[in-house]
Amino acid sequence: MEPLRILGICCNWSPFACYNAAGMTGMSMPANFHLIRVMCIGRINQALILRAFEFGADGVILLECTDEDCRYGPGPEVGHENVHRVRRILHLLGIRQERLVERTFGAHEKEKLVQTLWNFTKEMEKLGPLMAKNGRKREAVKS
Amino acid sequence: MNDPKIDQMIVEMSLYQCLECGKCTASCPRRLSGKEYSPRLLAHKVISERQDEAYIENSVWECLTCGLCRERCPSGVDFNRFIMEMRALLAKTKGLKGYRAHDGAIHSWMRMMTAPHLKQNRLDWLDPGIKVASSGDVAFFTGCAPYFNVFFAGIDVDTLSIARDSVRLLNFLDIKPVLLPNERCCGHDLLWSGDIENFEALCRLNYTSFKDAGVKEIIVSCPECFQVLSEHMPRIIPGFDIRVTLLLDLLQREMQPGSTAFRPLKRKVTFQDPCRLGRMLNRYAGPRELLGLIPEMEFQEMEHSGRGALCCGNCGFINCDASSKQIQVQRLQEARATGADLLVTACPKCMIHLTCTIRDPLMHGKKIQMEIRDLVSVLADQIE
Repeated sequence: MEPLRILGICCNWSPFACYNAAGMTGMSMPANFHLIRVMCIGRINQALILRAFEFGADGVILLECTDEDCRYGPGPEVGHENVHRVRRILHLLGIRQERLVERTFGAHEKEKLVQTLWNFTKEMEKLGPLMAKNGRKREAVKS
Repeated sequence: MNDPKIDQMIVEMSLYQCLECGKCTASCPRRLSGKEYSPRLLAHKVISERQDEAYIENSVWECLTCGLCRERCPSGVDFNRFIMEMRALLAKTKGLKGYRAHDGAIHSWMRMMTAPHLKQNRLDWLDPGIKVASSGDVAFFTGCAPYFNVFFAGIDVDTLSIARDSVRLLNFLDIKPVLLPNERCCGHDLLWSGDIENFEALCRLNYTSFKDAGVKEIIVSCPECFQVLSEHMPRIIPGFDIRVTLLLDLLQREMQPGSTAFRPLKRKVTFQDPCRLGRMLNRYAGPRELLGLIPEMEFQEMEHSGRGALCCGNCGFINCDASSKQIQVQRLQEARATGADLLVTACPKCMIHLTCTIRDPLMHGKKIQMEIRDLVSVLADQIE
């Protein structure tokens, strides 16, 4: 069986600091976990999360700063709102809401981050691959 | 651009018949709202200056496909079909272009629906007040209404009310329709944004789900879905044998003056002709006759109505920009100028786009506030 594709969308500040520190200390991470680093989780909108699923992700996890910790202001709140709304679309499509989660981290919580990633991957393995995939090639964007 | 298909299109869509009179450009809402876009020049460039690829490509994606140019053209140039086929061709060779509104979220879920093993939860909105059958010959096509209702919750536009009220009207006519739990999007927006591969996949999946349910007739309320199901699906699926009925036609047939009693509605209304319903499907009288059945209702046409109706500003959720907004503001101001307090339309897209402008905080003070309702909702609320 093809390994599941897990996508993490990671805020550049606290969660990425954790991810970086975890890497520096050589903690092991799930091999099928892919990370996209953004300046703030507030950068992400509903379309980008949906597109992750369209392009074949089996699970998407948003790694955010805590609400009071955001460097820009409302980032995590935008994240909560987007997750809430995309989950309703996923529900209509018959995609279980466990496949899209958000977790918040302080800058020092590398163990928590790594544990979260392992737990999320295990959870996805329990659910199995996403059935709502068309298997055809994705939208071609040529310049 | 040297594709022989383009030469074929020029002949088929009568581009050589162009007199260069410029009526198309002079009536184009996109042009009138200040965009550098000219259907006449596009036709000219495609015929004799095909090396100007950048211009042709930009123009092809710029069009609203509202069909006003085709309506005004004295030589019968089929501009809509030309744009549709050019987009399909360019998408194949140069990639999909055109700015997707809402960053392509809508096209994204439409493409996700091409997954063969999808198990949707699209019928959560059913309530005991409306009667549906689990099997039978007649089905009602809900379309994207449940999805739009969730996605556009932020601007508070209730597209599900259209589906609910359509079924209520069908119940009133003693029809208990089947609602298919796994029908897909009709693919209209993918077709008009050039994604033919996924469009055809949706058509085939829909046909399979109609067949699996043993349905012989599909009733559709959305003009876009109707156009796709009745005109494009038979083209793609050989031996397409399902009757597709537009709900408006059915209502018009069944609700003759005197046969149905409507409760009076003391309001002044005006009607927005959706481009797909009017210019593409030629249904102008139907909605007006149906509105005329409601006693005490006053009806006033807008400055641009019927064949000359103005577009709601956007089609297929691509290229929504300041120019679209301007068209929408103009349309809403025309509606207000009639003195009506209710704008009736017959397409969920018109409702979404015009509501979006009404709710736009930057449009504050523009005097465009107005209630917008779908024709089926107005009718369903007035039946005895």
